[in-house]
Amino acid sequence: MFDKKVVRRRRAALAIFITLSIVMLTAYFGESSGGAFHTLQRGAQEAFAPIETGTGRALKPFRDFFGWFGDTRKAKGENENLRDEVEELRKRVAQSSTAEQDARQLRGLVDLQKTDGFPEGTEPLAARVIARSPTVWYSTVKIDKGSGDGVREDQPVIAAGGLAGKVTSVTGGAAEVTLITDGSSAVSAQIMPSGANGIVKPEVGKPRDLLLDFVQRGRRVTEGATVVTSGFTSDRVESLFPRGVPIGRVSRVDIDEVDLYQRVHIEPFADMRRLDIVEVLTRKGEPQEAAEVVAP
Amino acid sequence: MNATPGALLRVGTIVLAAVILQLSGFGTMRVFGGHPDLVPLAVAAVAIYAGSVTGAATGFAAGFVLDLALGATMGASSLVLTAVGYAVGRYREVRDPAHGLMAIPVGAAATLGFLVAFASVSFMLDVGASVSALVFRDMLVTTLLNALLAIPVFALSRRILRPALVVDPFERRRRRKAPIDSGPIGLRGLGA
Repeated sequence: MFDKKVVRRRRAALAIFITLSIVMLTAYFGESSGGAFHTLQRGAQEAFAPIETGTGRALKPFRDFFGWFGDTRKAKGENENLRDEVEELRKRVAQSSTAEQDARQLRGLVDLQKTDGFPEGTEPLAARVIARSPTVWYSTVKIDKGSGDGVREDQPVIAAGGLAGKVTSVTGGAAEVTLITDGSSAVSAQIMPSGANGIVKPEVGKPRDLLLDFVQRGRRVTEGATVVTSGFTSDRVESLFPRGVPIGRVSRVDIDEVDLYQRVHIEPFADMRRLDIVEVLTRKGEPQEAAEVVAP
Repeated sequence: MNATPGALLRVGTIVLAAVILQLSGFGTMRVFGGHPDLVPLAVAAVAIYAGSVTGAATGFAAGFVLDLALGATMGASSLVLTAVGYAVGRYREVRDPAHGLMAIPVGAAATLGFLVAFASVSFMLDVGASVSALVFRDMLVTTLLNALLAIPVFALSRRILRPALVVDPFERRRRRKAPIDSGPIGLRGLGA
């Protein structure tokens, strides 16, 4: 171990290899890309390429097996992050969808108030729907405005597009609105511009199809005609709904030979299934004592 | 180890196999952000069985082949692996490790030494960009993976080298008989 010759030989070998390495480093940095070492490298890489390809294919199952651990761990982390992201995005989508729908309905309400013939003497009070009837038999919604806000029974309620219903019960901070699609609802209406009068009634289970009944056979009714509240008044009774509130559009007319009246189908302007914001048409001045609607 | 054609062939086989397996297989195995590195392990294995001079020569050759195949800066790997091979060989010559699990610390130390030295050389030579702290994590993972791989790599290298070795230190140690612990009191503790 302490033989000087062996020690010298060992040190000489180390010095030679270190020197060779440094010479190679220096030469490599000093030469251009077409130099000897670069050319040698290119040749070696060409020679190694097929061997590496073959070995790579042979080792792929092992590589995949070992990669599985890392991939699984990485996938778990990614999965967790993506779940958080999805949850956050869902919240945002829900918020933006709600805001969009609210904006659409508010725009519809504003547009409705600007239409010609919209009843004057009313003061719209915006309210948010806070609950709705879960059955098709009772189409009612609850709104977040009550007597404290000036809401009274029998006041008309409009939604984006047209008439929605009327207030049927009021508490201090909330009110119940019976929609025009409720089985008990009846609204005196008029087809424009022909002026034919009738009573709008619902067909239970078909919120997008109302019936305008008691329209005399002789009156010409065309599809697409607009139906508005007639708001009639007489000495004894007065309609709850002021004149001129849009209800819907005539979608079909059934004429029966034996019937005295035509049955006119109406597609309501307001979408009763998607009510979020409505307006209660409170009367300016004193509360009105109104009578129930009767047939004309 | 004498520099016979057979010995050169065996060492060459180990070096080539290590480089090819590293480039086409182990280099692409990502485990916890790092990957095993067979080349310093193979150099350390040859050095521990064949001594410092052979270790240095093997390190130089392995680095040369590695730089050629990778298209990396010629001489950088050779420089570092020469030092690693020499150091491991000298460790065996000076300390003569005998433990059966000796491959694990030797493999880990050789790997860590190689990675740190190679990073230093690369940093000094031609890396202009800033270096992320994740490099240290990768070094640690590679060292741990190599520690796990050290036992099979050392065993396989020894199997390949054994016919060319003048003296297999571990074989010699196994043949050594246990001291006498029975018989007359005056003879106890003496070798047979």
